[in-house]
Amino acid sequence: MKPRALGALLALTLLGASVLPPAASAIPVFARKYGFNCTMCHSNIPRLNDFGQRYRANGYRLPGRENAERTVLESPTPLALRTSAGFNGFRFNAAAGGPNSSTFELNGLDLLSAGLLGRNIGYFMVYVPEIAANRGVAAQRGGLEMASVVFSGLARDRLALRVGRFEPAYVAFSVKRQLSVAPCEIYDAAFPAGPAFSETRSGIELTGRAGSSLRGAVGYIGGPDTDRPYDAPADVYGRLSGVLGPGEGQTAGQRIGVVAYAGRTRPADGGGPREAYYRFGGDASLNLAHANLAVAWLMARDANALWADEGQNDTVTWSGGFAELSYLPLVNLVGFARYDRVNAPDLSGRDIDRMTVGGRWYFEDNVAVHAEFSRRTVARDPRHTGTDATESFFTTRLDVAF
Amino acid sequence: MKRVTTALLIIGLVGACHQSAARAEGRFLATGPLPPAPVPVENPQTDAKVRLGAQLYFDTRLSADNTISCASCHDPRTGWANPHPTDTGIRGQVGGRNSGTVINSAYMRYQFWDGREESLEGQALGPIHNPIEMGETLENVVLKLNAIPGYREQFNAVFGTDVTTAGIARAIAAFERSIISGPSPYDRFVLGDETALTPAARRGLRLFNGKGHCTPCHGGPLFSDQSFHNLGVGMDKAKPDLGRFDHTKAPADRGKFKVPTLRNIAQTPPYLHDGSAPTLRDVIDVYNRGGVPNPWLDPLVLPLNLTDREKADLVAFMEALTGPVPIVEVPKFPDGPGGTADPKGGLR
Repeated sequence: MKPRALGALLALTLLGASVLPPAASAIPVFARKYGFNCTMCHSNIPRLNDFGQRYRANGYRLPGRENAERTVLESPTPLALRTSAGFNGFRFNAAAGGPNSSTFELNGLDLLSAGLLGRNIGYFMVYVPEIAANRGVAAQRGGLEMASVVFSGLARDRLALRVGRFEPAYVAFSVKRQLSVAPCEIYDAAFPAGPAFSETRSGIELTGRAGSSLRGAVGYIGGPDTDRPYDAPADVYGRLSGVLGPGEGQTAGQRIGVVAYAGRTRPADGGGPREAYYRFGGDASLNLAHANLAVAWLMARDANALWADEGQNDTVTWSGGFAELSYLPLVNLVGFARYDRVNAPDLSGRDIDRMTVGGRWYFEDNVAVHAEFSRRTVARDPRHTGTDATESFFTTRLDVAF
Repeated sequence: MKRVTTALLIIGLVGACHQSAARAEGRFLATGPLPPAPVPVENPQTDAKVRLGAQLYFDTRLSADNTISCASCHDPRTGWANPHPTDTGIRGQVGGRNSGTVINSAYMRYQFWDGREESLEGQALGPIHNPIEMGETLENVVLKLNAIPGYREQFNAVFGTDVTTAGIARAIAAFERSIISGPSPYDRFVLGDETALTPAARRGLRLFNGKGHCTPCHGGPLFSDQSFHNLGVGMDKAKPDLGRFDHTKAPADRGKFKVPTLRNIAQTPPYLHDGSAPTLRDVIDVYNRGGVPNPWLDPLVLPLNLTDREKADLVAFMEALTGPVPIVEVPKFPDGPGGTADPKGGLR
């Protein structure tokens, strides 16, 4: 981002602060629509609580109050913004090889719009503007990160159909709403040029519920970038979860889920036929008083061509997961610690470990100061000499949404 | 320069949010005090009618054995409600529900916990011929009151007729419509008096409209969405009170009860339709547990994970919804069969 553009953004921010009417300030789209505080739907921004989870699953309509909903044409302007700015520090050892850095930065910008187009038709859109790396501004790859329409109220409100680009249901713990800046390694892991498990995907997804505790989702989505334009979508997935006790397993109740994913795509070089890859896994979100333990484990089975593996086996297998403990002693304070592990395929042998600890203090529902330390270790390739590559990341930043 | 610009940007973002949040603290209900109470065209308020309604409201002669009046269960001394969990009617019979307050009932779209009446006029007659409450027939009440000259004269002056069932209903409704709460500390706060709420009440306001999940049902100037919801209270009993279902027979209405106004709620313990919560804190505990599980539990009733301090803050906020209520003395009744007027008010 050029200084002039940064200045313009600054001016826009200050202008916004001064001219926005009280009813339209400080609260993102849904909170502004209803006049709710953010903690109605978020246990701590950005993580959803059970209320927010039900609201999302109900197609952005308050469950049980669908007849009283207003569409975007009857609501305040459905636009919101999320960004963060602060200090970032990176340290790499020699094996990792990255340049150490420490700088104040503006860490990206999300523009968000959401609401109801009709009584049972909701939409959700996140646009991420392209931002060039600059001293003082972190680079951001631009694009329409999410843009989906959800048709609710099907089968007596038991089913909902989402169409467009969205965060699929097989991502049990949303990366868009996770507490940490450091990524969940297993969600990022993939075969070369393959899709990160947590990427937003284009397609259709049918979600449903049975009784008060059983939730399910099936989806049919387009493949990753290595597919050719004429390739028909070939990825399907399913997720089933159940909740024990009241709640949705976000902050109350105990949720256990399983996911299965089957996809076909071409190797990174784009040559040859499409090859199969699979993911299976389980997850649990366990709550006790003000603490939450989130656990996920995934196993991957990929055609060896996707790894450019010339070994004897037809498939390459790997696995990984994470366990994150978060604790909310106060409504405006949350602490978290997460351990990530990826058991890399034998052909690579470069297992990944990451330990992350952090906390967020909320000045207001939508203004948090975030501090986090994360250390990532990639094991040395056992076929070669050398040492583990370590990368340490520290950030303290202000996270705002309005 | 770039660092300075970034720092300014951060300050700008903080300023934008902080300024807005301060303004926004009471935004969701920035409606100020209650608007004037709605008055039906067919029953305009007059001073004479309200005075007549007050006499009828306090007069035990409307009951079968001359022992129970409206005020017996909707007592002005206890927030115009019943301080006991459930009502006690004639011959010591005990009802199954707690008496709702008369305060601000003029604003309610539905009357009674199950909403079986949609007007105060309809509500006013219900307890009179309820066999457990006042146990009198409407025909007999009309006969009894017509035998009291003072009532007959007043009815002729107000309605141009002798005592009628409709006249009784309209007079009592007109009186109840005059029991409106004045501005509360919360009202003064949203009108700009930042000192009107204590720090605890201000924290409670934020919880009320956030983590406490209160406003989806208790929103608006009346702090009620004028609807019916199932919290599961009493649904774990062998023969639960099915509330709204008993009136509509709609399966989805099982276990639903009217959302009461929270204005002056601190004056009207005990709480919930069965009076099972002695204090506001007990009500919050019900919500904090996520209600009582049952197949028709409202989907927005979820465990809240409130701390003890947060519960106390919510109570502080609800206490700040208390506004002044008209002081009504027990009126002097006309002499007649069933009682002689006491010069100090009431009957001898």
